[in-house]
Amino acid sequence: MDTKKIAYLMLNEAGIGVVLVFLCLVFSVFVPKFATMNNISNIFTQISINTVIAVGMTFVILLGGIDLSVGSVLALCTILAGLTITKETLPLGAAIPLAVLASMAAGMACGLFNGWVCERWKIHSFVVTLGMLNMARGAVLQVSNSRTIYSFPKEFNAFGTLSYYGIPLIFIIAVLLVLIGHFILKKTVFGRMIYAIGNNEEAVRLSGHNTKIYKVTAFVICGATVGLAAILYMLRLNIASPILGNGFELSAIAAVVIGGTSMSGGKGSLIGTLIGAAIIGVLNNGLLLMGMSDFARQIVTGAIIVAAVIIDTYRARLSKMLS
Amino acid sequence: MKKFFAVALLFALALTMCGTVFAADKKPVVGLVMKSLSNEHFKKMEEGVRKYTEEDGSYELIARGMNSETDIDTQISIIENFIAQGIDVMCIAPADSMGIAPFVKKAVDAGIVVVNFDNPLDKKALTDNGLPEDFVYVGPNDEYGAYLVAKYMGETLGKGAKVILLEGSPGADNARQRQNGFLQGVEETGLVVLADQTAHWEIEEANTVLTNLLTIHGDEVQGVITAADGMAVGSIKALEAAGLGGKVLVSGYDNQDQVRPLLLEDKLAATVDQFGATNAYEAIKVGIRIMNGEKLSGWIKTPSELVTKNDLK
Repeated sequence: MDTKKIAYLMLNEAGIGVVLVFLCLVFSVFVPKFATMNNISNIFTQISINTVIAVGMTFVILLGGIDLSVGSVLALCTILAGLTITKETLPLGAAIPLAVLASMAAGMACGLFNGWVCERWKIHSFVVTLGMLNMARGAVLQVSNSRTIYSFPKEFNAFGTLSYYGIPLIFIIAVLLVLIGHFILKKTVFGRMIYAIGNNEEAVRLSGHNTKIYKVTAFVICGATVGLAAILYMLRLNIASPILGNGFELSAIAAVVIGGTSMSGGKGSLIGTLIGAAIIGVLNNGLLLMGMSDFARQIVTGAIIVAAVIIDTYRARLSKMLS
Repeated sequence: MKKFFAVALLFALALTMCGTVFAADKKPVVGLVMKSLSNEHFKKMEEGVRKYTEEDGSYELIARGMNSETDIDTQISIIENFIAQGIDVMCIAPADSMGIAPFVKKAVDAGIVVVNFDNPLDKKALTDNGLPEDFVYVGPNDEYGAYLVAKYMGETLGKGAKVILLEGSPGADNARQRQNGFLQGVEETGLVVLADQTAHWEIEEANTVLTNLLTIHGDEVQGVITAADGMAVGSIKALEAAGLGGKVLVSGYDNQDQVRPLLLEDKLAATVDQFGATNAYEAIKVGIRIMNGEKLSGWIKTPSELVTKNDLK
């Protein structure tokens, strides 16, 4: 491999990583205690849930779609899992796996509905998932009677604080998911098809492939990651609430887009998404540690998101020149 | 022509039916306009008020709420529908202290007795819309409640103890009042504020913000004062994760069901109860008294009480 090719690969796969490294360096210099193991471990925990949701969101966006319902569906999943886990008639050994199953199933069912409606009637996912955002929120308020569920079994809560060498368990789960997703996207036929359809759906369809199956599956994958994120949320905060998750869709979309995935589909990677989520997490953490006020933090975070994507357009040009 | 008659007949029928319904029912109709029913505070309020109404039996209740805390449009349409319906008394917890004032004026002009509760209308917005500045308001004093809990924390921790404050959404009136109350209590008892940050009433955000603040202040913080129980729950999790569980005193606000076990386990030091349902019922009774000719105005205070573990027994 010559240097040109290595530079090309670095730019293409992890270009936005430069921004992350830069931010970390700046904060390390100006914010005492930023670069401590403890603080980094905190950031890992804080970005885990967004990362997991953003993995599913990446599949959907790679196909040129969008899923606005993830925040509401997340709330629905936590409540269903919370109801299962606190059911007294169930022995604990069964309640925990059943709760995970309930959460994943609910997420996947919502995803299946989103994908199926989009494909069956050829409606843009923006509209369908906007509808689902409301339906899931209404459903969860109905099911829970707008009450929060708490007092999960101690055995369940214990998982939430587990960490290995300072790396929290929930972050390990998130990274594993990114790696599995990355493998699927880059090394399997299914993954190649996702990119192909995202680039030119018509061409793929005309070459005799059933594109619908792939698009619906992407939504189901997104639902599944939301179901998993719901369990991580419950592990982290030991609570299931019908009003949580407002605005989570925007954080997930931001992570995906900052990570270099094109909103029109066909281009992007999950490693980029992980870096995107990390950039958001590092910004929230570092700016707060600097003692910046909430208002100023919002302005700076927003500006850096835009700046990161502008830098990304230069990266794309540079990588085109190199290839 | 036949169609026209059919439609006209239907209309006439519908009108007489409405007429008979109203004629048969001499009880005053009270419209209760709440904020978000997805908020446990208002959900409990709704259930409580329904129970009181059943026991009382002297009025008809129509309770309405919105989907989200800041959904001003929906609240305005609820008010307009009440005006069209011609109810007798309207009790309203405004979603926006200023934006709702013109519609309160509309309702007043339509002959409805309006009582403001839960969240006070802005004084300037009231006078700007031709309403009296001392427009009747039935509700708790958030500033006082917040002062109570901050003072309790200060007395328990002792002078010079260091605390972190987690506030509600900036811009919300009750968030601002609670902040003022906290600062009064903190000052009076000589607490030192390490940081005063918002967590927008959110559990997850409170967890994140406090975790990050603990990175700087973890070895000196002795107390965390929060403006909502949910934020207290998020804070307690953050402290536990940082190995400070049980070492730092945490307070909440609202006395929601979810904090009961936390109070009993000494994880939460205190919270404040503002009795949402009794407050709304009080507002309804005030409205009926005004309808019957009494002159009431200004702030009719409802209680705010400090709740600690000892109060649960």
